[in-house]
Amino acid sequence: MSAPLGALRRLRHANAWIFGTMLFSACLSLIASLVLSIDAVRLAENPRLALSCNINTVINCGTVALSWQAQLFGFPNAFLGLMAEPVVITIAVASLGGTRFPRWFMCAAQVVYTLGVIFAYWLFYQSFFNIGALCPWCLLITVSTTLVFATLTHVNIRDDNLYLPRRVQAPLARWIAADLDVIVVTIWLLALILAVVTRYGDRLVS
Amino acid sequence: MASPAGKWVNRVGKKPAESAEMRKGKAAIAGARSPARWPLIVGGVVIVGLLVAIVATLVVSANKEKPEPISTSGPMVVPTGATTGGALVSGKADAPVRLEVYLDYMCPYCGQFERANGEEIARLVGAGTVRLETYPLAFLDEASSGTQYSTRAANAAATVSDRAADKFIAFNNSLFAHQPAEGGEGLTDDAIASLARDAGVPAEVTDAFGDRTFVPWVADSTKKAFAGGLQGTPTVKIDGVQFTGDLYKAGPLTEAINQAAK
Repeated sequence: MSAPLGALRRLRHANAWIFGTMLFSACLSLIASLVLSIDAVRLAENPRLALSCNINTVINCGTVALSWQAQLFGFPNAFLGLMAEPVVITIAVASLGGTRFPRWFMCAAQVVYTLGVIFAYWLFYQSFFNIGALCPWCLLITVSTTLVFATLTHVNIRDDNLYLPRRVQAPLARWIAADLDVIVVTIWLLALILAVVTRYGDRLVS
Repeated sequence: MASPAGKWVNRVGKKPAESAEMRKGKAAIAGARSPARWPLIVGGVVIVGLLVAIVATLVVSANKEKPEPISTSGPMVVPTGATTGGALVSGKADAPVRLEVYLDYMCPYCGQFERANGEEIARLVGAGTVRLETYPLAFLDEASSGTQYSTRAANAAATVSDRAADKFIAFNNSLFAHQPAEGGEGLTDDAIASLARDAGVPAEVTDAFGDRTFVPWVADSTKKAFAGGLQGTPTVKIDGVQFTGDLYKAGPLTEAINQAAK
């Protein structure tokens, strides 16, 4: 094991790196949610704009924003991002500043964010297979949500915050220590990219 | 001392208590001794494989045969009976109501509008109440993966209006009944021709779709429509005034037309 690689691996388990990545990804999610929320409000203000193909239409006529999946709970999904991501940003910033949150708090954050990730991937699945229109901001949310989830899980397993039984916690901690989580997340994101370029490659390169 | 016996003792013998931090750090650094080395190798191979697949997919789609862009230059041929504003006309010239419809055959909302109101419009035109002026625009060519469905469909509509005018509405409604998904490949020229034949258009007319005779005219009327302040499609006007009622269910438009016919 070469020294720089070892240093890199130590850095990866440090709070600065974990919460820095979490902060960065949560900010990306927040920006994307904001853009999508503004779009949704504009569409709601002007149904005529919403229900027509505008001359400035480039990629699609807003069919993603107008699908029932885009308002699963009766309001634009992006609002959920506006509510949840600032909390993650707060956790990340406070932790960077040295705050240690109680175990139950981090566990609760993990549970809620896991639901968020499941929802994000359900939306990805819907837009990929059922709506069919490309939505770059939605894709950004899928990726950044995955990164937040990965960092949150990383820190919670490292610090044993999840109330897991010993025989589950121990191997998980070992895998994290052996950096297998990086491998899994990398493979996951690359598979996502492969799916997107396979489906939309024609439009991305032309 | 690295005798086999010594090793054995090290393995089974209780090590001095280590702090959790130390163990974590050691485990992280001691990748070489960790039993979890093979997943790293397998993972690395999978990652390289995925990267290769991504690059290959991008290269393949970049090199894929792209249909030649349809030229919009060339002599401008105006379909028989078309207005100077760029609309195809159906129905009696002395019909009391003039209905203008701006559409793009790729526009999903135009599809919703036509599927809700197409039959009513056909009926009102047939009854002599409405003179229909259809603007077949082509501004969503980007949304059909390079096949320029908007332009091809609009050219076909103009060809039908030019040479088999009484079949225009049936063909128009059929194009929307079989509207392709936005962002897909659009319908092929053959599929468009087959819809036209099913709508009663003679084969010698559908054979002319491939000549792209009216493409320059379609491009010109698209430009004119948007230069004239059109915002998007569908836009529907009754006697020159924009209809602001619900476009997406049958009824309100018919009512407004009947009102205007009085």
